[in-house]
Amino acid sequence: MRLTVDGREVEVEPGSTVLEAVRRAGSAVPTLCYDPRQAPFGACRVCLVGLAGAPAPIAACTTPCREGMSIDTRDPAARRVAATVVELVLSELPQAPAPHTELAEVARSLGVCGTRFAGATHEVEHDERHPYLVLRHELCISCGRCVRACDELQGAFALTATGRGFEANIAAGLGGGFRESTCVSCGACADTCPTGAITEHTLLTLEQEEHP
Amino acid sequence: MSDRFESTVTTTCGYCGVGCRLEAHVTGGQVASITPASDGPANHGHTCLKGRFAHRFARARDRLTEPLVREGGRLRAVSWERALETISTRLGEIRAEHGPNAIAGLASSRATNEDCYVMARLMRAAIGTNNIDNCSRVCHSPTSFALRKSLGLSGATGCFDDIDHAEVAIIIGANPTQGHPVVGARMKQAALRGLKLITIDPRRIELADYGELHLAPRAGTNAAVVLGMAHVLERDGLTDPTFIAERTEGYDTLGELLEHYPPATVHEISGIPATDIEAAAHLYGEARRASIAWGLGVTEHKYGSEVVRLICNVALMTGKVGQAGSALLPLRGQNNVQGSSDMGALPDTYTAYRSVADERVAGAFEAAWGVPLSREPGYKVPEMLDAAVAGELKAMYIFGEDIAQTDPNSAHVVKALESLQFVVCQDIFENETTRYADVVLPASAFLEKQGTFTNAERRIQLVEPAIPPPGQARTDLEIIAAVSRALGHEMGYAGPSEVMDEIAALTPDFAGVSYERLGRRGLQWPVAPDGSDAPILYEERFSLPGGRARFAALPYKEPGDAVDEGFPLILVTGRVLEHYNAGTMTRRTGNLELVDRDWLEIHPDDAGRLWISDGERVSVRSRVGRVELCARVTERIEPGHVFTSFHFPEARTNLLVGSSADVNTSCPEYKVVAVDVRPMSERASTRPALASA
Repeated sequence: MRLTVDGREVEVEPGSTVLEAVRRAGSAVPTLCYDPRQAPFGACRVCLVGLAGAPAPIAACTTPCREGMSIDTRDPAARRVAATVVELVLSELPQAPAPHTELAEVARSLGVCGTRFAGATHEVEHDERHPYLVLRHELCISCGRCVRACDELQGAFALTATGRGFEANIAAGLGGGFRESTCVSCGACADTCPTGAITEHTLLTLEQEEHP
Repeated sequence: MSDRFESTVTTTCGYCGVGCRLEAHVTGGQVASITPASDGPANHGHTCLKGRFAHRFARARDRLTEPLVREGGRLRAVSWERALETISTRLGEIRAEHGPNAIAGLASSRATNEDCYVMARLMRAAIGTNNIDNCSRVCHSPTSFALRKSLGLSGATGCFDDIDHAEVAIIIGANPTQGHPVVGARMKQAALRGLKLITIDPRRIELADYGELHLAPRAGTNAAVVLGMAHVLERDGLTDPTFIAERTEGYDTLGELLEHYPPATVHEISGIPATDIEAAAHLYGEARRASIAWGLGVTEHKYGSEVVRLICNVALMTGKVGQAGSALLPLRGQNNVQGSSDMGALPDTYTAYRSVADERVAGAFEAAWGVPLSREPGYKVPEMLDAAVAGELKAMYIFGEDIAQTDPNSAHVVKALESLQFVVCQDIFENETTRYADVVLPASAFLEKQGTFTNAERRIQLVEPAIPPPGQARTDLEIIAAVSRALGHEMGYAGPSEVMDEIAALTPDFAGVSYERLGRRGLQWPVAPDGSDAPILYEERFSLPGGRARFAALPYKEPGDAVDEGFPLILVTGRVLEHYNAGTMTRRTGNLELVDRDWLEIHPDDAGRLWISDGERVSVRSRVGRVELCARVTERIEPGHVFTSFHFPEARTNLLVGSSADVNTSCPEYKVVAVDVRPMSERASTRPALASA
């Protein structure tokens, strides 16, 4: 099936998502809750793009391609909404995400530096009881990627989304940490986390040496 | 991510046989982190805690970093020159006095293909003997033997991707979520998407909870279970007569044998309800695409190789081989079990399982290596040990293996090591075996060298060094080439890629293999000269004379050990997720915090009867040895059986295992050991009580 992305024609397999078409066309759209190893989720709204004829921007990661679609990744409304979403996400964090994280990269790609929204930030809360994994709750942006990695890649079902609104976060098991849960220590959660909320002890040491 | 670390290399995991492709990130000369390669064909961007986290062993303080030579009863650090001179002098003397067959070598399924190939060359060309074997002897040699007899080639008929294309999968004698975690996770995900799993094991493995059917046979009765399924397939017309007629031989004889295994009979032998046998056969037989995976619970038995042939029967009679989704998948234990044998580190074959007695093949190697080669097969591992005790074998060169810890009947192994005049160990740590070594050579871990591993899908994948070997340690290839040079046989390789080029030149099944072609995704042998590989075998013909597969009419026979009044429980041994085999690597990482001992799993019924409570220390006695372990009372294990792992040298689990072995390949019967289990201390009770059973 054929569609147009930023004026370029691209051919994709039926069943592909708009995001896949965009990437095949060589255009860039930032994502936060997306991981190609997981089923499309569509929670973060950072991958919004313009679709000719649609009343508002659409989420590229969950929208299936249709013949003849015309996609605009530089749609001003889409970019504005995505940037604001990232600003809101950043506003909840007590510190800027480390430069190597996906969240920092996405912010850079959208030209977001800092946030205009002053207000409450998450309290620093670290769980360092696992020999390898560290959970830094204050950096959780509730993208759900760790929970889905645990479910869809490993099948350990050890992580859970907890709380609502500002209190939304993740928990290992019933909150007793990785070792009290069904966790098998595969690290798929740390691998997919876009903020370093779940990371490794060794990387944390490295990060602290670089940015004391 | 890239500028966060000083360097990143893509390599292949050195733990199990899944063959996960990994990105090793290095900072300050240390591996800082390992992440899965998103394009890994076996792991699809995933890996387990061993591959991802258990890498700190490489810089453990007790790594061997200098050559050691025994002087006055103690191992002392010496120069490489001194160590090599000692080896060449002593091996030279022994060869002059007792002949080359008084010396034997072991290659390692942990090492690269290139390492194993040069180790075989060292024994054959520099020493002059075919006394070379590797540790696949004690795990999947029965699989290799049986697949060659039934189908032609020693390897899985398909890939792990077949799990995604199958409607039904049988897992027999394997615990993938522990032993092969990434394949286990893929199987679990497939089951959640609708794959119907049938698990066959005396332990209720985790995947049984996600399956359609779990069969728990008495240990050692796999043959009866598989024959029973075949009986039902035949009886109920679930076979593929066209496939049988056009592509196989020997079905009539099998048919006559199958008459003797109706489900009722199989129930008597195995304890599995007849209806479950029928249900399993129907699930498998009625599926359009179905695969069978197995592990050491099939092979490590007295008739392990025969059971693999019976498994092949089931696939052949239903035509479920040679197509996507219908595969036979032996789950290889170590990273390079497949490759170490492919490379000819075996007493009877050169590369790709070609006989040492084959004039044409031997002649080609003679021409390449410039020395005459023996046509006589050498000793297998157990024969080496027997010959050492008998005084016929005088020296061993043991590379990357801790036989005193991992081989059965540890007391016999120790006696053999003590009987030898000269022992060389090449390893990364001192271990149980190096206690008996005269020379210890400091070798390299998988993160420190270049080469290739071949995974359980026959996929040859590149291994790249992330960090250099520590101290004076060297890569295994460098060490073996240096020993060979000291013995007067110059191998002349500039590096591992030249070794692979030679393998390709001398081995038709590897003809098209080169490092350049392996690239990021590897190649599944056989690889044609043009570089095209073979994800699925036998699509049109089997690799046997006439192109036809062979049925095997082999009856059920009783295992080598059996319970009696003195030894009323059957011990089964296996791995746990957090540790790996002898634990040499994983015990030197944070994994030790997660699991710090071997446990003895025992069913609540047995525990109650024996007055054993959870966590209590128990004595486990077999006909040949005794060990102590802590009990874990769990319904995962069937009544009448106990289970333990063998990761901790202090537990010495293999003291319990006797000398019973596979009739065709001498693979030890680790999975059926009659034992007696008792609490270590029984305190007098102040209150009267009845035993719960």
